[in-house]
Amino acid sequence: MFLLTVLYDPECGLCRRAHEWLAEQSKIVELNFVPCASEEARERYPQLNHDLTKKDLTVIGDDNGAVYFGPKAWLMVLWALARYRDWSYRLATPELLPTTRRVVSLISQNRYQIGRAAGLNR
Amino acid sequence: MTIGISTYLIYLAVSIALTIWVARTLHKNGRVFLVDVFHGNEALADSVNHLLVVGFYLINFGYVSLALKLGYVVTTAEQSIEALSVKVGLVLLVLGGMHFFNLFIFSRMRRRSVARDQPPVGPDAFTPIQQTAQQQEA
Repeated sequence: MFLLTVLYDPECGLCRRAHEWLAEQSKIVELNFVPCASEEARERYPQLNHDLTKKDLTVIGDDNGAVYFGPKAWLMVLWALARYRDWSYRLATPELLPTTRRVVSLISQNRYQIGRAAGLNR
Repeated sequence: MTIGISTYLIYLAVSIALTIWVARTLHKNGRVFLVDVFHGNEALADSVNHLLVVGFYLINFGYVSLALKLGYVVTTAEQSIEALSVKVGLVLLVLGGMHFFNLFIFSRMRRRSVARDQPPVGPDAFTPIQQTAQQQEA
């Protein structure tokens, strides 16, 4: 896997800030950012459920079309980063995965409120 | 030269020769593992290999040196051979232990590096990808 496409929500301040942070990190796997449900995304993945991608982060492996949704997508993004690859395995262990899912879902579902509270929404 | 001195000298010669032999074996055969672990980065593999061998020498020579003292007087050839067998036997066991410890480190490093190529989670689904004109150019 040499490239992961990240379908992110361009309307959320938190996601934009995360995007900026990710752009600065050194990566083992390159990340390609595409706004979710955009024309580009629809053109590239004609059979994907694009309404679902607006609900949570979606990552797609560009060699085989593997789709990672929600918490799995977050773990894949961590896995792509040189500094955090070890953490992606740690958070994916059976002991920690339920907690990871819960925390990630909580953040995803409240991303607009968090962004507003942190003053990230423009 | 008394028989006691000869015993010590033979002990030192045998122990040092054995240590050098094991260290060289490790150095020669461990390299392949390390090159694989570091994804073909030979300079890094050689460096780590060398550092490991230095540690190996230090621990073994340290043990050989500490275990030199017999604690009793050797007067006959028989006693000398018995003393040597105990001392050299212990050195061999320490060398063997260290050797397996090194192999364990090599195999663990290798396993870790192989495992790190795999994603932490399996995909939820698969979707066909439409190559866009822009990406085909790149």
